[in-house]
Amino acid sequence: MKFGLFNKTEKPSSDPQSEEKAVQSPSAPRDKNTEEWENNGQFIFAEIPSDDIAIDIKGINLWYGEKQALYDVDLPVRRNAITALIGPSGCGKSTLLRSINRMNDLVDGCRIEGEMLFHGENLYDPDVDINSLRTRIGMIFQKPNPFPMTIRENITYGPKIHGIKDKKELNEIVERCLQQAALYDEVADRLDTSALGLSGGQQQRLCIARALSVNPEVILMDEPTSALDPIATSKIEDLALQLKKEYTVAIVTHNMQQASRIADYTGFMYLGKMIEFSETGKMFNKPIKAMTERYLTGRFG
Amino acid sequence: MKTVLTAVASVAILIVFLIIVFTLSSSWDAIGDVGILDFLFGTQWSPSSGAYGAAAIILGTLLVTLGAIAFAIPLGIGAAIYISEVANPKARNTLKLVCEIFAGIPSVVYGFFGLLVLLPLLQDIFQDQLVYSQSWLAGSILLGIMALPTVISVAEDAIHSVPQSYREASLAMGATRWETTIKVIVPAAISGITAAIILGIGRAIGETMAVMMVTGNATIFPDPIWNIFSLISTITGILALEVPEASVGDLHYSSLFLLAIVLMVMVLVINLASRIIIKRMKRKLGVEPPRQAIFFKIGLIPSQGSFGDWISEHKGIITAAFVYLCMLVFVWMMASLFTGDLTALIVSVVVTAVVFAVQKVFEKIDSTVKQQVAHGGLTVIMVVVILILIFIIGYILMNGLSAIDWEFLTGVPTNGGRDGGIGPAIVGTLELMAGTALISLPLGIFTGVYLAEYAKDTKLTKLIREAIDLLNGTPSIVFGLFGLAFFVRVLDFGVSMVAGWFVLAFMIMPVIIRTTEEALTAVPHDLREASMAMGASKWRTIVRVILPAAMGGVMTGTILSLGRAAGETAPIMFVAAVSSSTAPYADSIFDSVMALPFHLYYLATHVVGSDAMQYGTATVLLVIVLGMFAIATIIRNHYNKKVKW
Ligand SMILES: Nc1ncnc2c1ncn2[C@@H]1O[C@H](COP(=O)(O)OP(=O)(O)O)[C@@H](O)[C@H]1O
Ligand SMILES: [Mg+2]
Repeated sequence: MKFGLFNKTEKPSSDPQSEEKAVQSPSAPRDKNTEEWENNGQFIFAEIPSDDIAIDIKGINLWYGEKQALYDVDLPVRRNAITALIGPSGCGKSTLLRSINRMNDLVDGCRIEGEMLFHGENLYDPDVDINSLRTRIGMIFQKPNPFPMTIRENITYGPKIHGIKDKKELNEIVERCLQQAALYDEVADRLDTSALGLSGGQQQRLCIARALSVNPEVILMDEPTSALDPIATSKIEDLALQLKKEYTVAIVTHNMQQASRIADYTGFMYLGKMIEFSETGKMFNKPIKAMTERYLTGRFG
Repeated sequence: MKTVLTAVASVAILIVFLIIVFTLSSSWDAIGDVGILDFLFGTQWSPSSGAYGAAAIILGTLLVTLGAIAFAIPLGIGAAIYISEVANPKARNTLKLVCEIFAGIPSVVYGFFGLLVLLPLLQDIFQDQLVYSQSWLAGSILLGIMALPTVISVAEDAIHSVPQSYREASLAMGATRWETTIKVIVPAAISGITAAIILGIGRAIGETMAVMMVTGNATIFPDPIWNIFSLISTITGILALEVPEASVGDLHYSSLFLLAIVLMVMVLVINLASRIIIKRMKRKLGVEPPRQAIFFKIGLIPSQGSFGDWISEHKGIITAAFVYLCMLVFVWMMASLFTGDLTALIVSVVVTAVVFAVQKVFEKIDSTVKQQVAHGGLTVIMVVVILILIFIIGYILMNGLSAIDWEFLTGVPTNGGRDGGIGPAIVGTLELMAGTALISLPLGIFTGVYLAEYAKDTKLTKLIREAIDLLNGTPSIVFGLFGLAFFVRVLDFGVSMVAGWFVLAFMIMPVIIRTTEEALTAVPHDLREASMAMGASKWRTIVRVILPAAMGGVMTGTILSLGRAAGETAPIMFVAAVSSSTAPYADSIFDSVMALPFHLYYLATHVVGSDAMQYGTATVLLVIVLGMFAIATIIRNHYNKKVKW
């Protein structure tokens, strides 16, 4: 079995027998040991030329009050590619994603250390303009959250905030963004009706269109399909594949198949740590860490 | 047990029925002899010459309320936005609590403060405009302050309940917090904010003591109609003033009851409006499904005609133009009270132009700076609100504490109330509270239990709920009128303590019912099941398990409403309270009593040279009422900490 083989070559110091046991009996202390072992050393297994890295996350530690939620996380997000984050719930995927456009600043008592380089600038520099930062790094949320306004107003909201007033220009933005979000044909005849009348899948695409309206470079998506049915999900997945041609996409997903379908790179997280980051194909075919393998094969304690 | 509870719960319906029957029947003569139309539109109100045209009073009520709400909207909504969106989340509860204290201060204390502080102050400022010391303006300011807690708490709830996801979505697009607030959050909460304003109006329109003490109660039309310095009258004020003078059975008496009916209808319309609006809000936020057809109907689809297109094209400009026009007219109106019409016109044009320029400049500036300016403004509003509160309470306590000594607390008033003490008033207030509790507690708690535990969605339940809502919205003076017609006259209790008990009990019952029901429904289901699973009967479960678990909520509501009863003047002034110290202590429950709020009203309006006594009385009343408020708060916090579901 090739999985087993990989495990052995990667972990010369570990006794394969005891590792086997740990896999079968998910007793707490054993798991702890394994985890410690897994985290000593390398976990980035993808070579990305530094010119192609849109956001370079290095050694991020994050606390919610006293509780630490991220431990020394690295993550290179490649430009014009889709980077997926997977892992059991509560492992810190959303936390990591939300720290990229500093949505965690809104959480009382949230503290972060480390570096996130975006165009060579640390996102957490004190003199970073947080609003223009969020304009350049947009976000799609788990539950579709269109504003209780018309479809048109949802999309013109951002541009208007940033000072665009011209009616014609706004109309062009509305059309372009809806086209890009593959929603235009479905709503062209009811742009001035409430966005809350759309189906869940349509609402989520509207949110994507809305995020595109301010010309971001990076789009962060936090489980964008978890509230949607399979058909709507596959539409969003197609859309993500389209979007990566022009944008950089980072997506959190609880669904491994989704990551394997659309992501170019995948990071597997566990208990606030990045366990393994590599090209999606490699990760799903030959995971390097035993823990990744267990997660991918569904044998997770 | 269920039958007993159903019967108790139905008492609410009976009370509403009795109120309607007795106010209507008492006003029957006026409806027949004066005629509805002549009553509503007649311009002359002069009981001595038999003229009963209430137009000036009705208009006065509306104008005073309008002024109050114009005062309460900027302060109230600003404070609500500050509490929900700007303040540190930890400060939120404290600030809300502080605003609730406003609601705890009795109406008569506001009136007293108005007489002693506000009227002289206004007279200093507007020497040339004010002919008399009392004025519409004074009434509106006082009522505005009194409406603040309602406006703040309802608006804050509405703003705070806008889903966090809207805030996140907006911020994630690079909008500042202020832009998010003003462009997303406030529009999403607009129905709730409107409801807050309407409920504030409802609160203001039903207030009696504060307005009657500062408006002059002159049944005239302000001249010009926007003359805020004019004397004015309100329905509640006229009722409070004239009911004691009118003799039973004559046309004056019955016209006053008809006036009360007009007031009730106004309040009813206001409450219905707010209910409809709150429902719309829920729909908008997706709590209830959107009615899509409506969106199409109300023209969110641009209309076809070229004019319709033009309108929707220029919607922003048209609204702005309208707002500026209103401002121009308003500034002109106010300015014309001070100077000649022409100068006023110039002033209004200049002011409007300046506001326009400031707004243009504000639009241009950087959005971060904009946010700082806006948040600064909101902070100022919050500080002003809190300062008003501190000033009112502080001023009264500062002046009153020195008047208080043992003799003051225990002595009998002498020399018409100028000397001696207020012992009988304190005792009377305590007696009134005790009796009120005795009647309202069983009624309120049993009804609450019925609604929370037994009521199915039947017609009867709906009727009971409607009745409770109606009672809750009924102005306190109407309870007084009803008590006069029913307990004092029909049941022939006379002006007596027991009549006061019933009236106050009916008045505070809705609050006890609501808090009991809320507390009971908050008890988790497992607890019920656990008890029932051991074979306990439903009633036993309620008494042994659920009521104790809900005790914190029930007690909080009860104490708060008893505190309110202690401070009420209007409901007891016709039925229970007396000012004279001929027989200061009541010998039986069928004797009349002295009461702190009525005594304060009497001293402040009838007894010249009793200043120290007034301050002392106001202080004792404030201490009792705010003390109960504090106890209720402590109990609530204690239970909130102890019981975590
Ligand atoms: N606002 C918050 N305050 C405190 N703890 C939080 C907050 N958000 C998340 N956490 C905690 O941080 C950890 C990671 O959460 P999250 O990033 O949401 O995980 P995931 O998205 O992988 O399910 C969890 O243990 C969670 O309880
Ligand atoms: Mg998550």
